[in-house]
Amino acid sequence: MATVHIPTLFQQAALEVSGKKLDNLTGATVISKLGLDSVAVMELVAHFEEKLNIRMPDEDLAKVQTVADLGGLVKRLMPSGSEVTW
Amino acid sequence: MSKWNAPNLIAALDESKGLTDKGYTFLDRDQKELFLSWDGLRAEAMKRAAHFRKYGLKKGDRVAMVLPDGEDFVPTFLGAVWAGLVPVPLYPPLSMGKLDSYRDTMVAVLTKAEPTYLVTLSKMQQVLWAGLTHVKSLKGVITAEELKAPAPEGVSQDPAQVSDDDLAFLQFTSGSTSTPKGVAVTHGNLRANAWAIMVDGLKSDSETDHGVSWLPLYHDMGLIGFVIAPLFHKVQVTFIPTMSFVRSATLWFETIHRVRGTITFAPNFAYALATKRTKPEQLARWDLSCVKAFGCGAEPINSGTMRTFVETLSKAKLNPNALLPCYGMAEATLAISFIGMDETLSTDVIETDAYQKHRTAEPVHLTRLAEGKAQEVVNCGKTFPGHEVGIFDDEGKRLADRRIGEIQVRGPSIAKGYFRDPDATERTFGGGWLKTGDLGYLANGNLYIVGRKKDLIIINGRNYDPQRLEWLVDEMAGVRKGSSVAFSKPGAASEELIIVLEARTSSQTELEALKEAVKQRIVEQMQLTPADVVVCPVGSLPKTSSGKLQRSKTRQQYLDGTVGKEGNRTIGSNAEKVVLARHVAMSLLGRSRHRARRVVEHALEVRTVTDAVGKLRLASDYFSNRLTRLF
Repeated sequence: MATVHIPTLFQQAALEVSGKKLDNLTGATVISKLGLDSVAVMELVAHFEEKLNIRMPDEDLAKVQTVADLGGLVKRLMPSGSEVTW
Repeated sequence: MSKWNAPNLIAALDESKGLTDKGYTFLDRDQKELFLSWDGLRAEAMKRAAHFRKYGLKKGDRVAMVLPDGEDFVPTFLGAVWAGLVPVPLYPPLSMGKLDSYRDTMVAVLTKAEPTYLVTLSKMQQVLWAGLTHVKSLKGVITAEELKAPAPEGVSQDPAQVSDDDLAFLQFTSGSTSTPKGVAVTHGNLRANAWAIMVDGLKSDSETDHGVSWLPLYHDMGLIGFVIAPLFHKVQVTFIPTMSFVRSATLWFETIHRVRGTITFAPNFAYALATKRTKPEQLARWDLSCVKAFGCGAEPINSGTMRTFVETLSKAKLNPNALLPCYGMAEATLAISFIGMDETLSTDVIETDAYQKHRTAEPVHLTRLAEGKAQEVVNCGKTFPGHEVGIFDDEGKRLADRRIGEIQVRGPSIAKGYFRDPDATERTFGGGWLKTGDLGYLANGNLYIVGRKKDLIIINGRNYDPQRLEWLVDEMAGVRKGSSVAFSKPGAASEELIIVLEARTSSQTELEALKEAVKQRIVEQMQLTPADVVVCPVGSLPKTSSGKLQRSKTRQQYLDGTVGKEGNRTIGSNAEKVVLARHVAMSLLGRSRHRARRVVEHALEVRTVTDAVGKLRLASDYFSNRLTRLF
């Protein structure tokens, strides 16, 4: 079964798409306050989708504000039994 | 002469009847294609018009649209126009962005446009509607899904009767969320600009041409350039979802290669991004010799980016003459000037001193660039037949060739004004000329853009472009890229220069050293001493929701003594992506200015002036070699 730790994956993705080192990510971290521009965010989404083999719909992404929100969305989209934590 | 000469968009759609072999192809995120022939588009528009009428909508009523996908957007937009309604295209909410500030902007725009209904996807309805209930004019939401259903019985599907002066749609362009301005584009404007683009500019041929676009459709370049103008002149188009382009930029070139595209347009940043992402394997495989126009506009054109693009893609058989710098803005419907189809990128090197002191563009030898005594300006070509570009000084006097002043335009493409905003309309459209707010000059009928008028810093009688000063600061170690702001404030004898920037500093000593270094650099490079340098915490300077630094707001905060004290903003990072954010990230804000200007030091890969000069030398060698081969 797949195990996904959202903050870790987020950090890896941010480093890859924008060379940004993000520390101390928690579920409560508000993504729009991380200093990532909207294009970096889209690239990050693409990174998540590729890594986890899921599709995150635009209307769901619009509602995502925090790392925990993102975790909730990923959890919903992953095959049942996958462990998603944040 | 194009064989297509419909008097308006509705007639252009009506003459599509029976044309089933060509039309628009919409790709989805999985690369699946949906093809709608010209005939099919007409049928879809008629059906949607009937739905709109069933809701009681009448000619002139506004309909707001938040539809991210082309296959929904295009038939809905055309259906509204067919019924004589006035569509108001708006950008969708950002992924993981701030929904509340998005809603604030929406409310401001909708309050101005006063639409009767909002059309959106049913799944988006819930996200949007919560914040919009207090827009008084709005009666409710119509979903894109409803509009797809068979036409309601007993409702007319006849085309609306429109005259040239009737409103066709509203294009919102505001630079500030509190006072949005909707450009009132008429049916006459659309016909004129479609002709200028497709016939005078691109010399399009409906038999052989094929457009490829990933541009957002709520942005004028995507909507006018790839939906409206091609429909008038029956040039087929393949649409790539904007988000697919952002996720994978080379999909743009890949699609052109696959469908044998001939016409495409994009802002400068997209050329930089897609070139950077292109792999040798792709270059070896692609054949882009089919492209006759790689249009570049909508933001300052960086000659360095363009040269890197041409050089890289020449390995995929790109014809360098395909590169087409252009200038335009929503207030002129879209296009103002193009270079000729048989011309390639050309630039003018002008002396900085004469520009700053006398507002003249004196051509000098390229070597002066390396000495830092000159600057390079991209040629944006000539305006179209029936249109006129003039350069005016502050007193409204028309200037001669090579004198720098405000670019003004008149002709049939110039919009009626801003919707329900007589003051702003008078300021920008008054006196028969559209005041673009851009500074530039004409030389032999060709237009060169040097900067923005309102941001110009004038100190001791010399003109300084703030961006030039900001780039100098941006290059410095310790300064957060794309986060410095230059402006002036009234001083004792003249205006004084103020620099505000963001940096991470841990001690007072470090902070003072950085301030000193900034002053020194400005003095060295520009012979100008900043009266004050303010270092603020990272993320504290005001930016627009699209990530562009707000110079005027920063200036106001400085004068009020509140600069750097307003908490963290939300978006922003380095300069190159700020530009990207502005155009792709569904911004209302950056869309008004289709301008181009010289940006030589700002080549995306360039971090120092020395580097820039080196690259420029290479580029100029490359170009002179190539030109020698051509002639």
